[in-house]
Amino acid sequence: MATIPDILIIDDDRDLVNSVRIILESRNYHVRSAYNGQEGYRSIEEKIPDLVILDVMMTTDTEGFDLAYKLRRNPKYVNIPILMVTGFTQRMADLGPENFQHILSEDWPVSQFFEEPIEPEQLLAAAEALLKGEASYGHHQ
Amino acid sequence: MDIINDTIKQQIFFRKELRERVYWFIKLRWVAAAIGLVGLAAAHLTGLRLPLGPLVGIVLSIIGYNIIFLLIGRRLLSTRPAGVRPYHIFAHVQISLDIISLLLMIILTGGLASPLLIFVIFHIVLAGMLLSPVSCFGYTFMVLLALGTLLLIRPEGLLHLETIHIGSHFFFHQLQHPELVISYLIFAMALVVAAYLITSVKVTLRAKGRELLIISKQLDISNTKLLALYEMIKEIGTKTRLQELMDSATHNAARIMGVKACSIKLLDKDKKYLEFASSYGLSQEFVAIDRIEVDKSTINRQIIEGSLYSIGNLDEEDYFQYPNDVRKEGVVSMLCLPLRVGHKTLGVFCVYSGESNYFSARDADFFSLMTDLIALAMEELSQSTAKTWFLNKTAHQLRSPVSAVMSMLYLLTKGYLGPLTAQQQETVARCEKRLSILRDTINDLLTLASENDESRRQPFHPVDAAAVLQAMTPIYLTQAEQKNLIFEVRAAADLPYVLGQERLLDEIFTNLISNAIKYTPAGGRVLVSLSRESVEKIVFKVEDTGIGIPESDLNRLFAEFFRAENAKSMVEEGTGLGLAIVKEVLDQMNGTIRVASQFGRGTTVTCLIPAQRRHGLS
Repeated sequence: MATIPDILIIDDDRDLVNSVRIILESRNYHVRSAYNGQEGYRSIEEKIPDLVILDVMMTTDTEGFDLAYKLRRNPKYVNIPILMVTGFTQRMADLGPENFQHILSEDWPVSQFFEEPIEPEQLLAAAEALLKGEASYGHHQ
Repeated sequence: MDIINDTIKQQIFFRKELRERVYWFIKLRWVAAAIGLVGLAAAHLTGLRLPLGPLVGIVLSIIGYNIIFLLIGRRLLSTRPAGVRPYHIFAHVQISLDIISLLLMIILTGGLASPLLIFVIFHIVLAGMLLSPVSCFGYTFMVLLALGTLLLIRPEGLLHLETIHIGSHFFFHQLQHPELVISYLIFAMALVVAAYLITSVKVTLRAKGRELLIISKQLDISNTKLLALYEMIKEIGTKTRLQELMDSATHNAARIMGVKACSIKLLDKDKKYLEFASSYGLSQEFVAIDRIEVDKSTINRQIIEGSLYSIGNLDEEDYFQYPNDVRKEGVVSMLCLPLRVGHKTLGVFCVYSGESNYFSARDADFFSLMTDLIALAMEELSQSTAKTWFLNKTAHQLRSPVSAVMSMLYLLTKGYLGPLTAQQQETVARCEKRLSILRDTINDLLTLASENDESRRQPFHPVDAAAVLQAMTPIYLTQAEQKNLIFEVRAAADLPYVLGQERLLDEIFTNLISNAIKYTPAGGRVLVSLSRESVEKIVFKVEDTGIGIPESDLNRLFAEFFRAENAKSMVEEGTGLGLAIVKEVLDQMNGTIRVASQFGRGTTVTCLIPAQRRHGLS
């Protein structure tokens, strides 16, 4: 990768956004941030990032998913890898998408789930893999 | 409702009655013939002058044809013809022959003066019991005609027969003697009155019989309906989403009430508007109408205020703002009630029929019961959904700050914010440790709180416990290896399935195995086994050579947050909720748990879990 990868963090928890920023900037990635779904979408419209790190619950319980679906349905953005950060990874993996039918209508729209709290080394490994195009569309771990 | 079925049922009922009477008639005839013979013998002995030969002949012929009747009766009994006609014909033949025999005997014993005359009344009574009123009166008039003829032509004269002594004076006077005519008329009147009485009693009895049949049929119908209602309530009780529950309710209600359509309209929060929430048998266009403003809809307001709304025929009265919409749906009559729990009104429940005046008072009572049960189920589900929502929200609120703080502490310990002194490093590591315990506690607490709700809603099904255990074994093998423990898993072959959920078993196994590994020092051994206790139970056992539990602590083991002193000193993290969760889960599955422990030497935890019997599997 010749250019510096551009990563967009969308999370309403400023402490988490800052932590993630510090971790990513330590590898000299270019990091942008947004604090809700709308703001995040606008940032994507401005410039398509190489990776989106997205929180599940923001103002609403499903704001993260709503945005992820919106991106997946738009051919312009369908290929952006999405790393979804959640405290519920295990729970969601246990239940599977079929148990979220009332909010979800198809498969998980994200490339990978990432469990909170954020362990720096693991985050960097996951981000690196996704930037290389190793999108797994599966679960973290 | 089902006229053909009704008629058949009635026929079966009345045929049974007719059949029983016909056989009774044959038995009665044996008695009559026997009394006849005895009477004749007595008359002979007392010196009454009677044409004994012909009379005995008649009695014998009665016995003769009764034998034939008996055979025919047996044949009817074995072939069981479907209609009532064969029995009617049989009854007619019997009564005709009996009356002819009796008339012959009357002629032979003195005509109108015969003491046997009175028996004519019995025959008419029998005819009235067995046959239709018309037949009964038919026989009455034929008998009277025959007796009248007798009065006119005096056959005893023609036949040169001797008359018995009693009343023989009558026969020396003919029609010129009015007393003879009067006596005939009185007898005729008695006979007609007897016929009238018996037929009217019979008509009343038949009507009562029919009423009873109708009542029994209605009982049948309500019984079927109640059973269907029970099934329906059972089914909607398993629904985890309100929409599914309501859809199941409208569908089932329409089926059970035998109507074309059914709907649930729900009130909004401010109780101002009603909106279709679920419907069955109504068109999309009809259901898609805008929400109904309660204050502007008289009908809906009245229903919400609590009155049963029943409309027998929509065409006759002006009920609706847009009657054409309703008519287009093919709805002619409807029944509506508020969905209410206590004083809380959830919405309006309606059933619609294409027939006018379809709903009876009985239907309304039943519908009311159904509505109340559905409202209860809806309320119960909403409460539990609200609780689950609240728990999830709480989980998020509690976990988020913990996660954020931990994430930030990682930045410190991993040196992203510059190097730390040894003391700083140690303090931050302690913070991390304490936070991770807090996080586990929150997770366990929420598991415990939500356990009830979620699993109670999901139905139990046969689960392969061995497969669940096998799936988690690799994780614990690794953990045990890291601690330098011997870890063994044994599962008996051909174990019966247990009745539960995979998730619940997972909860039991995980908690008990990780406890055993946690509290067994290096070099120790953890043995996990699944075996069969009986046809009805399997045993899950975890044996370790760990630190054991002091005897004084054993009975407090399942209390929430309890951790034995020696456990605390050995392993810092641990929420004290693990065993409480296991106990809660086992309670749900009707299982039991027993803990045996020797302080310092090891612990054996034994769970008995109810199994599904083999034949239920297939």
